[in-house]
Amino acid sequence: MAGAASTAPASAADRKIVAFCCRECAYAAADASANARTPLPPTVRLVLVPCTGRVSPLHLLSVLAEGADGVMVAGCLLGQCHYREGNFNAVDRVAFVQRLLKSVGVEPERCQMFTMSAGEPPKFVAAVREMDRVICGLPPLPRSEAGGTRQAPLAVDAPLTAARGAA
Amino acid sequence: MPLTHRGREILSRVPGGTLQSTVGVGCEIVRHEELCVGCGKCAANCPSGASERGDFFDVNQLLDAPADSRRGALGGALRRLMRHEPDGPVEVPERVTVYRTIIYHDEKCLGCGTCARGCPAEAIEARPPQADAAPSTASAAAAPEGLRA
Repeated sequence: MAGAASTAPASAADRKIVAFCCRECAYAAADASANARTPLPPTVRLVLVPCTGRVSPLHLLSVLAEGADGVMVAGCLLGQCHYREGNFNAVDRVAFVQRLLKSVGVEPERCQMFTMSAGEPPKFVAAVREMDRVICGLPPLPRSEAGGTRQAPLAVDAPLTAARGAA
Repeated sequence: MPLTHRGREILSRVPGGTLQSTVGVGCEIVRHEELCVGCGKCAANCPSGASERGDFFDVNQLLDAPADSRRGALGGALRRLMRHEPDGPVEVPERVTVYRTIIYHDEKCLGCGTCARGCPAEAIEARPPQADAAPSTASAAAAPEGLRA
């Protein structure tokens, strides 16, 4: 593997990239690449989701706020989503998060979307290496502890009921 | 949206009831922006076009939302990452159905309360017109200026 991870200094190994992979395509491609013993960059952590349409802006931003330096969404090829149009939703949500990040001065490349089919393990590996190259080329993501409140991991649906109870 | 015959008949019985009048049907609409998820259902249901679903999103709405609300969760994450104040409203892609700024035209509002009935987050409250002066001033104080944007 001649990627940036092997040549960069040791601090690059501390970077974390979270990859949300859809079960039907990207995770299957990751599985196949692992069976072929293709090494992935050590920075990447795979998260299995049923479909990339499940990934919301809150997931993407929380991952960055809680310690990852980059987040990628890997789904089916456009038009070949097994749930018909989940990956189109994901494309737009990733674009929205990129605009949010850009408007507050964070590099929008830290959140990216990739598409591949289940039969393309090399494309998955290439996408992960590309993300790794981008993130290792950027400084670590600074975050302030003071401003935000820490959300419980499963709090995606909780705030609405809490706010309703208070109202 | 044109009214049906039955709608015109009902409107003619309402005192001072014209379609464009401020006090047409008369409920006082109180919008709790901190509970709003920006889905635009109020705009889709509104008969007079007083609520409008914007194509943009003001990032400050995330940052100003209280931490226990749905927008506040996203705002809290964004606040930890931000390096400077938001540049301004961001354009929202078509398939992002929430996180939109709802534009509310006070002068077009009939006070019918359709938006309140259809709101999935219960962020809009329609107060009946016969409420006396004391609750209406209290509700005006409860709704900050930003809610009328």
